[in-house]
Amino acid sequence: MPTIEMSFSDLERLVGASIPKDAEELDYLLSFIKAEVEEFTGDYLRVEVKDGNRPDLWTVEGIARALRGVLSVETGLREFKLSDQPPIEVFVDPALKEIRPYIACAVVYGVEIDESVLVGFIRLQDKLDLTYGRGRKRTSIGLYVADLITPPIYYKLVGPDEVSFVPLGFDEELTLRRILEEHPKGIEYGHIIKDYPKWPILMDSRGKVLSMPPIINSADLGRVTTETRNILVEVTGTNWTAVSNTLTIVATSIAERGGVIRKAVNKHPYEPREIETPQLQPNESKVTKEYVKSVVGLDLEPAQIAELLEKARYGAKAVGDEIVVQIPAYRVDIMHPVDIVEDVAIMYGYDRIEPVVPQIMTIGDISEEEKFANLVREIMIGFGFQEILTFIMSSPEIIRDKMRLPREGYIEVANPRTLRFTCLRDWITPSLIEFLSFNTHVEYPQKVFEVGYCVVPVKDSPTGARDKRVLGFAIAGDQVTFTDAKSIADGFLRLLGLSYELREIDYPSFIEGRVGKIVVGGVEAGMIGEVHPEVLNNFGIGKPVVVCEIDLGALQEVKKRSI
Amino acid sequence: MSELVLHPLEKTLLKALQKLGEASLEQLRDETQLDQAAVSRAVMWLYEKGLATIEEHRTKTYSLGPEGRKFALEGFPERRLVEVLGRLEEASLSKLREEMGVSEEEFSIALGWARRLGWVSIEKRDGETFAKLLTVPEISPEERVVKALAERERAEHEIDPTLRDALEKLSKRPGVIEVSEKVFRKVAITEEGRRVPPQLLEVVEEVSRLTTDLIITGKWREVKLRRYDIQRPAPVVWPGKKQPYLKFLDELRERLVALGFEEMRGPIVEYMFFNCDALYMPQDHPAREIHDIYYIKEPSMGDLSPYSEFVDRVKAAHEYGWTTGSRGWGYKFSVAEAAKLILRSQGTALSARTLINPDLKIPGKYFSIVRCFRPDVVDRTHLTEFNQVEGIVVAKDLTLKELLGILKTFAVEIAGADKVRFRPDYFPFTEPSVELAAYKEGYGWLEFGGAGIFRPELTLPLGVEVPVIAWGLGVDRLFMMKAGIDDIRQLFTRDLDWLRKAEML
Repeated sequence: MPTIEMSFSDLERLVGASIPKDAEELDYLLSFIKAEVEEFTGDYLRVEVKDGNRPDLWTVEGIARALRGVLSVETGLREFKLSDQPPIEVFVDPALKEIRPYIACAVVYGVEIDESVLVGFIRLQDKLDLTYGRGRKRTSIGLYVADLITPPIYYKLVGPDEVSFVPLGFDEELTLRRILEEHPKGIEYGHIIKDYPKWPILMDSRGKVLSMPPIINSADLGRVTTETRNILVEVTGTNWTAVSNTLTIVATSIAERGGVIRKAVNKHPYEPREIETPQLQPNESKVTKEYVKSVVGLDLEPAQIAELLEKARYGAKAVGDEIVVQIPAYRVDIMHPVDIVEDVAIMYGYDRIEPVVPQIMTIGDISEEEKFANLVREIMIGFGFQEILTFIMSSPEIIRDKMRLPREGYIEVANPRTLRFTCLRDWITPSLIEFLSFNTHVEYPQKVFEVGYCVVPVKDSPTGARDKRVLGFAIAGDQVTFTDAKSIADGFLRLLGLSYELREIDYPSFIEGRVGKIVVGGVEAGMIGEVHPEVLNNFGIGKPVVVCEIDLGALQEVKKRSI
Repeated sequence: MSELVLHPLEKTLLKALQKLGEASLEQLRDETQLDQAAVSRAVMWLYEKGLATIEEHRTKTYSLGPEGRKFALEGFPERRLVEVLGRLEEASLSKLREEMGVSEEEFSIALGWARRLGWVSIEKRDGETFAKLLTVPEISPEERVVKALAERERAEHEIDPTLRDALEKLSKRPGVIEVSEKVFRKVAITEEGRRVPPQLLEVVEEVSRLTTDLIITGKWREVKLRRYDIQRPAPVVWPGKKQPYLKFLDELRERLVALGFEEMRGPIVEYMFFNCDALYMPQDHPAREIHDIYYIKEPSMGDLSPYSEFVDRVKAAHEYGWTTGSRGWGYKFSVAEAAKLILRSQGTALSARTLINPDLKIPGKYFSIVRCFRPDVVDRTHLTEFNQVEGIVVAKDLTLKELLGILKTFAVEIAGADKVRFRPDYFPFTEPSVELAAYKEGYGWLEFGGAGIFRPELTLPLGVEVPVIAWGLGVDRLFMMKAGIDDIRQLFTRDLDWLRKAEML
């Protein structure tokens, strides 16, 4: 969730009305735009905007615009000042279609900016590139000093060694190829274009480079400072709607600083062809009084709904039972009328809505599996075992190497974060032994159990895997032998009304001749064994350990069959 | 004061002390005929009860040397000499030595002492020396000393003052007496000890353990079952019990069942489709980045064909809104991406599965408490595996009002909240969305959960035409608050000692 840093006094000036200085009260005010105070010391204010789809709120200018509505300082659609000059022309090379097809530009004139405003714009640009722009893949933004550029602007493709320019942060001219190899941004974002034979470049009519989208701006035309008054904004990308939306958000945010917007006409040789940006025309939608009632549960009059929507900075007019709504162009989050209705509810105030407990008669129940698990846990506690809780994720070292087993037959994740958690356990015994290994200093005998999940690979299943709920228990201490575990397993199965057969097997994790498979109703349901001393050494345990694990799903199956 | 309970050993000892006033351990042993260990133990007990004092002091102790032990066994040489001489009346020294069967040297020592003690006299006749018996006591003071020391070593004060002289003399004979310094414990009765009435000191035959034999033979009537000191600490026993966090989740499950919720289930290895796509999270959504979801290595993709009907509609909803009235996300949906296999990262995946289940009940209330996985590095506030508690309510005519009503019920019934607070929130799959905070006296405000009404772009493609309220509860924080822990890793504690000692909350 994005956080926005600002100066409180700047915010107050932009809002044009006094806003609460008390953090609690300010927090309440911000809740109307789904934001909250993260830090507020002196004049420094950091706000978290919880809505990941509202980039129009990712600047102090955008927040101020929204708060003016909440505080009724200024309601309804925000009008932006437009320049009388003809739109700037932008020409697009047809070959870009397969690489990075879309561009949208605009110029904002007469902007007063200081250091903090500049930082705010750069942060907005970074956040949009990262989230809405999906790491510059979908969209990326460039800001330029408009006075240094001679229109029209050309968006075209060039070979990696054809053009060179001084990128931001460098003193010397580099070829595009060298930028990808040497510039930090080239290294970070180069993957987006590097597989193409030619790469995107943005130039003015004199052949001066503006930038190499989506990598880096030029250090001449593309370095905006506090001296800059006229800013050219440009967005390129792979999705036209996203490109256009991004430009609208950036241009309108900058224009909040008192600027005048000059449009650009972006001449694509393919859809959307010649198109003017920024797109400031509101989208029209409708909601009915009934629909609002069906979502919010409040019987509001259309005029009241319209008024609330105006506070949320929509244009709204009640017409009979309908409300005709004009959605600001920067509200890229509105996909469905339900999004508009939520704003009605928010502006009405969640704390004014009376909660109603729905009278829905349903019968609660826990799953059969959980019921059986509870029964099993009750039995084990009766036997005096301490319940433990361990992780389902593990590592081949734990579930195989230390257990004297070959590395095979378990499910691994493709992107582990640490070596401790790289796969899913397919048996619970290693988890129990690992737990005991953390407690060698604790009084013996130790008796622990867990009813937990394992995940086993299954070839013919659609997901290639199956969850297995198992009971595992372990006893550790001097004098402990196979028989101790067998006694418990005996008692456990007897209490469940199940008889079993113990089949001798060879299993490297256990002492030869002291391990057996538990077979219930012809189904292999588990294993009992006395842990091999080498395994104990591997885990640093100095006492004999016996374990047993039983597949509860298998037991449930057998029980079901016998009914 | 509680009734005085005395062990039989204590009774015996105290009786002796009442008689002696003060005594050494050795004296007490002699007096009571108990063994050393029993005396020591009982004295300690009496001391702890304030019935006796123990005073330590150092004293000279006399015991027999090698020569002395030989004297004790075989008699003094002078005694042997007078015994032999007694049979012979009078004898020449050579004859006497012959009779005694000893070496010259031994004989001269024996004769020397016998003469010094005035037991024999010698006179020379016909060039030969004869020994003559004078008055010989039955037992000499020296012999009494050796006899006493042969029984056991004696402290200085234990030796009869009339024998002091003899002891002095014996000390001069080489190897007879050994002197050492020793710590002595002197036990003295206290006033309180004296006041213990005699009837309390009656030693009846007492039995510690009630045996089967005593019970069935009726012998228990003849013996006294010894009173126990019930204040004495008993050995620690660790009972079997539930893991505290799991117990908390059990109780939560019961509460939800009591509120009419039915449990949902779903697999750990899940399709991306149910975890994200079916929830209307766009495929290039930042939360679906590789950092937030674990992908399965092999097989990396599952077979979605059993759900193709839903996949097609979800695809249409993402791309252009399908028939939901939405404009959709406006991107090209990839079925291959939806078929990717992952570890379930949110419990909402179960809600999606429940909504497509032909047995879905309308109205219906469902919940799940399931393990979810995210590739976080484990620290005080993050786990890579955690439990999520969430669910859905499916019914006609549900609105934001009912949503708030359900949340309020949870806050009161589960968190025991005194006050609740609702604020607008954002979740990718609900609209409107609400954050729930619960206030509890002594704890303050706790963000306790989030909820919302599933977006139409989510429910309609899954074939559900009524509103669905979705909720999730942040119960881990609630448990941590209750249990007084501030490290989330302790939910999965590895500390057996902590588990054994944890109070049952």
